[in-house]
Amino acid sequence: METVLEVRGARYNYGATQALDGVDLAVGAGECVALLGPNGAGKTTLVNQVIGLLPAKAGSVRVRGGDPRVASTRRQLGVVQQSLGFPNTLKVSELVTGAAVRAGKPRAAAGPVMAELDLTELAGRRASKLSGGQKQRLQLAMALVGDPALLVLDEPTAGLDVPARKRFWQILAERRERGTGVLLTTHLIEESSAVADRVVVLAHGRVLAEGTPDELVARLPDRTVIARTGLGLERLQSLPGVVSLRNEGEHVHLGTRAPEALLRVLLAEDPGLTGLRVEGAGLEEAVAGLIERGAA
Amino acid sequence: MNTKVFGVELADELRGIVREPAALFFSIVMPVAFFALFVSLFGKFSAGGVSAGTTMLATFGAFGVISVVLMNPGIGVAADRERGWLKSKQVSAVPIGVTLAAKVVAALPYAAGVLIAMTVTAALTGSLNAPLPALLRLLVVLVVGALPFALLSLAIGFQVGAGAGAALLNALLIPTSVVSGLWMPLDIMPAFFRDVARFLPNYHLSELARAQLAGGPVLTHVLVLLGFAIVAAVLAAVSYRHARS
Repeated sequence: METVLEVRGARYNYGATQALDGVDLAVGAGECVALLGPNGAGKTTLVNQVIGLLPAKAGSVRVRGGDPRVASTRRQLGVVQQSLGFPNTLKVSELVTGAAVRAGKPRAAAGPVMAELDLTELAGRRASKLSGGQKQRLQLAMALVGDPALLVLDEPTAGLDVPARKRFWQILAERRERGTGVLLTTHLIEESSAVADRVVVLAHGRVLAEGTPDELVARLPDRTVIARTGLGLERLQSLPGVVSLRNEGEHVHLGTRAPEALLRVLLAEDPGLTGLRVEGAGLEEAVAGLIERGAA
Repeated sequence: MNTKVFGVELADELRGIVREPAALFFSIVMPVAFFALFVSLFGKFSAGGVSAGTTMLATFGAFGVISVVLMNPGIGVAADRERGWLKSKQVSAVPIGVTLAAKVVAALPYAAGVLIAMTVTAALTGSLNAPLPALLRLLVVLVVGALPFALLSLAIGFQVGAGAGAALLNALLIPTSVVSGLWMPLDIMPAFFRDVARFLPNYHLSELARAQLAGGPVLTHVLVLLGFAIVAAVLAAVSYRHARS
């Protein structure tokens, strides 16, 4: 498998703060790698190096062998930002056509990509008038029209409803089959578990763990305690052995490596506890556990 | 490839202006309205064989052109930065200079439009007495001479938001233009204004423009504007680098 992104020993510091401290990362053609980690882990700095906004102060970042700081190398890149505000005055077709020309492709390349992303009927509409899902599809069209070797996606499905997300990943899967590599950063960890071939966990500017989602989950003996409880989030967070916490509907999901001790305290403190079950940890709990252990 | 890309960038900028012309409307209408007021009151007075209306074409013309190129590229780039659009250009395969050049060039037809509107106004009031070649030289000198102001505008646009940028650029434009004698002749202003004006590029652009109509030395003005262009280019580059990281 051809390597489309290779990061070796990348370092970057903002004054005394070491944002990246010797990061290695590779993405192969057709592969999707999710970059996960808490706020301040160095994800944004690393992504900014990959898309050419920041230099590597030490080490190297190569996209298909080229330096992404050089404009011509960036022709190999497609970028989807978390929230991009389009100019109020430009229409969908003008934006996709413009992106094609900027990527060195003929104007005619815009049509098939717009069709692929269900944008043909919106061609004459101003981009600023589109819905959130339509805007993300437009961004993806602009990123794909240059037929990039590497797509860099920053929280690409944030704010999208479930059908729009499904469609987004379906389109991405088709592109990956044609060899496009994907570097994904997201806070929707379970989503990355579903779409990524590999996960790289970053904390304090270093790679803490790397592997398939299943491999990362298998590394930890953690369990997830799921229940409906009247206890407040603050109290739940402070219960013994809790390494992660999230709400899902009426249930809370508590990641823990000591489920028995946690269950005893939960039942003692909340006699009204219902819907209790214990499961193996998901990727979210595994990542939280890895980060906690890495920080310890 | 860059020519094609420049064409796309320029087309996008021009579409932006045509489809949402509010900002440029004010930067065109205000100078032209001021000019119409002053030229109808004083245009027919004469000094040194040139009517005041013709001289005002140089001074108000300098104000109008500076107004367009100082306000629009900077506010545009600040708005693009705020909405993440500038970032999307920075990570594209297009050298950022091409994008910024398109922003500046897109403002130039409007700068020329201001001058043409003022020329027509002066002619309609009967206070225009300059030959066509002199008027064409005036147009070229003002439009080319205003380019360093666009660089200064970009330097500010890389640092502040669109709202603050508009306020800051106006705060730069109006006082420096008044002190440089672009609204009223320096001869009727306090001597202090003349002392300050010598250090302002607005004054030198206006004097260079006047020299196209009435003759006079140009070298000092050209050198000052060249120096200003270099300083503004350095400021824009440093400011861009700062905004980028």
